[in-house]
Amino acid sequence: MKVDDRLLDFFNRPLMCIIAVADETGRPSAGRGVGFHLLEDRETIDVIFSAWQWPRLESCILQTGRIAATFVSPSDYVSFQLKGSAGMRETETPDLDRADRFMTAATDELESLGVPRRLIAPWLTARDARVARLVISEIYVQTPGPLAGMLAGTQAGARSQ
Amino acid sequence: MNLRLSDLSACFEGVIPSIIATASADGMPNISYLSHVVRVDEEHVALSNQFFAKTAANVRANPKVTLIVVDGFTGDQFLLDIGFVRSVDAGALFDKIARQLKASSAQVGMSDVMRLRSADIFRVHGIEKVPSPVETAPPMTGRAPVSLPALSEAIKAIEGKAEADEIIESLLCGVRHVLGYDNALVLIHDNHRGCLTTTGSIGYERSGLGSEIAGSEGLIGAAATSGQTIKVSDMSRVRRFGEAISLEAEGAENITRIVAFPQLPTAMSQIAVPMTVRGTVTGVLFVESTERLAFREEDEAALEILVGRAASALRTSEREAAAAELKPAVSMPEPAAAGREVRVVHHRFDDSVFVDGTYIVKGVAGTLLRLMLDWHLSDGRSEFTNREMRLAAGARMPEIKDNLETRLLLLRRRLEEKQAPIRLVRVGRGRVKLEAEGPLTLDATAGDYP
Repeated sequence: MKVDDRLLDFFNRPLMCIIAVADETGRPSAGRGVGFHLLEDRETIDVIFSAWQWPRLESCILQTGRIAATFVSPSDYVSFQLKGSAGMRETETPDLDRADRFMTAATDELESLGVPRRLIAPWLTARDARVARLVISEIYVQTPGPLAGMLAGTQAGARSQ
Repeated sequence: MNLRLSDLSACFEGVIPSIIATASADGMPNISYLSHVVRVDEEHVALSNQFFAKTAANVRANPKVTLIVVDGFTGDQFLLDIGFVRSVDAGALFDKIARQLKASSAQVGMSDVMRLRSADIFRVHGIEKVPSPVETAPPMTGRAPVSLPALSEAIKAIEGKAEADEIIESLLCGVRHVLGYDNALVLIHDNHRGCLTTTGSIGYERSGLGSEIAGSEGLIGAAATSGQTIKVSDMSRVRRFGEAISLEAEGAENITRIVAFPQLPTAMSQIAVPMTVRGTVTGVLFVESTERLAFREEDEAALEILVGRAASALRTSEREAAAAELKPAVSMPEPAAAGREVRVVHHRFDDSVFVDGTYIVKGVAGTLLRLMLDWHLSDGRSEFTNREMRLAAGARMPEIKDNLETRLLLLRRRLEEKQAPIRLVRVGRGRVKLEAEGPLTLDATAGDYP
């Protein structure tokens, strides 16, 4: 599934990211993303997280090869969830730069909304950064409200999640 | 160290959204924010089931769930390994979750879109602290626990007072000295007009005495209609619906007959505690603080104890005043006061009264001033008993039997605050005297409507 122009705009805003994976027994695990990179095909997105802070994410992805990532714009709660198959790839220097930019933008945005900086600091770290490559098969509107759970993206239909 | 749910109390204030991860039967994960997690006991949490259909479906297909909850003081994160037990859509636990969700939704400005349909109960199998890249501040910084001896003293102070004004004063004094909160209001329920009227106030630039909260409006109205304490622990994202209060607000009173509600612009936490006597809500204590998460569980409990005592004392005060009013008021005509004429206007449609063009008060308190003036002008006397006011106004306002004292208090305070040329002086139990700086005139016919 492709990220459409509207979503592309969304990904240029300061965002927060949360990630879910599941192990072979079906037990889910959760963590926070600290950066991303949407590939040119608009169907693949790299999601960066700290393996130091969220050690289960990598092992679950290696076990089951699936991931869900929700991106939210803190100022207006607009959110989208991307789901699909996932694998791990090597972490490279540009990933660390992306993580830095993402964390700075997110921190500034949250602070401007009144969340104290000292509160945000424990949530965002790129220590032992890892990159999961997500091949997008589903995109859902996750913004609270009547459209929550609806499919989004270029193949959007009326199916509700 | 084994963490217990009770160690995580600051995670359950709804300040920082929690995160819920589920997986479908075929193993596809799902992740979303969750507005509120409620601690049920040491082993269970409840989740407000207003979240997305996929999460609900996953939980029923695969009961294994992971939560991330965040301490609203320190930012510390915790992973909770939980399993679905059952769903509730009625009963005490459901009501508790619904109330907390309402307050929590209000504080993120989303009360319109968050509606509780049911709540899911989960057993907590494990709690794990998420490593933090920074050293976080110690939890619950700097505040000592509530002093029980101080609370006991405050209760005794309230119990020792007989008059409504002293009781309200003692309650506000207790709020300040036992709990250290500097901004508080006491609002008394007015059945006649279906609103709550500010009758006591500390800490505000303008006292707001006489200002009103209609019906179930905001936190205060919600506490009054539900009979439950409601608090907001982080106002930083609250949409401020209230009209900006300008310096002209006071002047506008004379046109709008509305006293501006006092505001603490830097408030971060608010709590509304209903005053209840035998199941009937008679008023609300409203406290606010510039601190985030200012109202801990124990503060809430202490406020409820103080408020409960004050509500009973106010009721007793009304009853005792009614019983003490047997002796009729002196009906001896008094010489007319010298000085310039003082003109009082009464509008019957809302019982608002103006003294020399300045808006004073409306509702029951306005009616009482009108009554006293009628008697003053017909009999020439200036002393009146609560009993005769109760009898005279009771036919039109039956609820007056339970709140005459607080209405007289409101009238007296508003006259003082507006520096009106009329004062109301208490001259004994259940007895007041009207003092004026000049001969009084009453205009009760002109301008029934503005």
